[in-house]
Amino acid sequence: MNPWIRLIIYLVAAPVVGGLLAGWDRRISARMQSRQGPPIFQPFYDVLKLLQKENVVVRRSQNYYIFFFLLLAIFTGGLFFGGADLLLVIFALTLAAIFFVLGAYKASSPYSFIGAERELIQMMAYEPMILLTAIGMYMVTKSFAVNEIASHPTLLVLMLPGIFLGFLYTLEIKFRKSPFDLSCSHHAHQELVRGITTEFSGRTLAMIEIAHWYESVFLLGWVYLFFGSLPVLGVAMSLLVFGFIILVDNVFARLKWQTALKSAWLVAAVLGFGNILVLSLLSSKPADLPGSGGAKPVATTEMSAPGGTAPAPGNAMETARRN
Amino acid sequence: MSSFSKSPWLIHYDASSCNGCDIETLACLTPGFDVERLGVINTGNPKHADIFLVTGAVNEQSKDVIRNIYHQLAEPKVVVAVGACALSGGIFSECYNISGGVDSVIPVDVYVPGCAARPEAIIDGVVQALGVLEKKQKEMTSLANSLDQALYLRAEKSDAPEILALQKTAYQSEAEIYGDDSLPALQQTLEELQKDFERPEQVFIKTVVNGKIIGSVRGHTMDDTACISRVIVHPYFRGRGIGRRLVEEIEKTFPNAKRFEVKTGHKSERNLFQFRHHGYQEFKTEPFTPAITWVYLQKERK
Repeated sequence: MNPWIRLIIYLVAAPVVGGLLAGWDRRISARMQSRQGPPIFQPFYDVLKLLQKENVVVRRSQNYYIFFFLLLAIFTGGLFFGGADLLLVIFALTLAAIFFVLGAYKASSPYSFIGAERELIQMMAYEPMILLTAIGMYMVTKSFAVNEIASHPTLLVLMLPGIFLGFLYTLEIKFRKSPFDLSCSHHAHQELVRGITTEFSGRTLAMIEIAHWYESVFLLGWVYLFFGSLPVLGVAMSLLVFGFIILVDNVFARLKWQTALKSAWLVAAVLGFGNILVLSLLSSKPADLPGSGGAKPVATTEMSAPGGTAPAPGNAMETARRN
Repeated sequence: MSSFSKSPWLIHYDASSCNGCDIETLACLTPGFDVERLGVINTGNPKHADIFLVTGAVNEQSKDVIRNIYHQLAEPKVVVAVGACALSGGIFSECYNISGGVDSVIPVDVYVPGCAARPEAIIDGVVQALGVLEKKQKEMTSLANSLDQALYLRAEKSDAPEILALQKTAYQSEAEIYGDDSLPALQQTLEELQKDFERPEQVFIKTVVNGKIIGSVRGHTMDDTACISRVIVHPYFRGRGIGRRLVEEIEKTFPNAKRFEVKTGHKSERNLFQFRHHGYQEFKTEPFTPAITWVYLQKERK
């Protein structure tokens, strides 16, 4: 499909899909707690209401940051679905989150400060794993471009099982769901009020909601990349992963930020880095077997055909050191 | 139904309840009643809430908190008083530290009786509050859309109740600044206001939009001096030049005055700024209560 068409579909459909996902989330959560739950369109009702409410601000400028948060959240997904560079997507995502945090800082209330600081800690927690995910995808497909990763013939999850699990862990943080709902929990009235979103109301809060919808769709799109060669499986798995996140949200209590940070880095080190290590060993192994010699490039191409199309960078370094 | 009544977010505050009504309120969220099916979220953040649900009688400690929370709710907002104590003070009404029901501090829209109020009654109260919320929202929008057709007219004695209600709403923000409701504007009774209307030197001006008063100002003359007081604008319509226009209008009604005088509290930065903008200058201060010092401003007619 033409990337421009994909982009336009994303821009139009993402808020609808994201809103429905949020509604589905609330309904499933309610059912898990043996309640009836709100209608599936509830998030849309909420946003429509918020648009009509008075916009109370501490400083008027706090709203501009949130506007840029929304803009960059849309931009991040736009880059992703337009098929741009995955690294660029990651940094656009970070930039969006930073604007959100800046908005909360600007509001200068103790509760939004706590929320903003915790949000920064969460970013610190998930950032290494997200980068490792991009690197892992590069090592298999030899490309950072999203459209090339998506159209790659390998089922990425088979080569990157550790990274996939680590990415799931990251998603828990990124969706701000329990056990990682540190920065803006719905349930921590006493200690957080509403964390990072405390000082936003009316139209600005609606913008934050819509930005979250765009973000959810983008993140589930990334889950799809792991199953890019089988599109139907990819969509099914994205939804399944979302269901899994809801389940975890309802099962676990909130963690302390120290635990969140340590565990996220541990996951990145063991699952993420371990997977990349195994991947580089796998791709350099056939090269080592014939010993030294000129037959190597041919052998590498043949052996790593299911995984990639060209020799891994680790391979080249290995040779250089030996010579 | 508009989206407003489909997504009521509420904040629950316990003024001095025995916890009976609180338990029943929280019971509404449990699987048995599940108010979330009506879109209700218990937010805990006044800035996100539409409905302010108060249980218990109002005592000296909770008075300021109630006023503070009420002030932080974004317009349009509705107050629901739950339980006998919140309605009238209940069995505590004669206590030395109880000022009465919730309506002794803030305007209440829906009253839910009971001791303790049953969850069914509370849900019914919330649903009634939705009706009020929707009505308020419609009024707000239609008023906001026709602000350019606002009329500035002389107020009559029959306007007194509406002006007094507006005055009490408008002065909530002032009471919050000083943490003190001894401001004369908040203490004034309907009889006193009606008497003011009968004084020949007193002039009242009202801002009317769609037949509803959203702003008012009054003034009287003493010799060459015109004293202007109580520039009130409904909180939802502030910052749109209504206050400025009111001051201009009242100045016009005293063609013979050589000098205009006005007073406001020392911490009311916004009022001071507005009057300085009109050309008023401070000339004396006078302590009123420990919390409030009056600042007098004056302007000579050019």
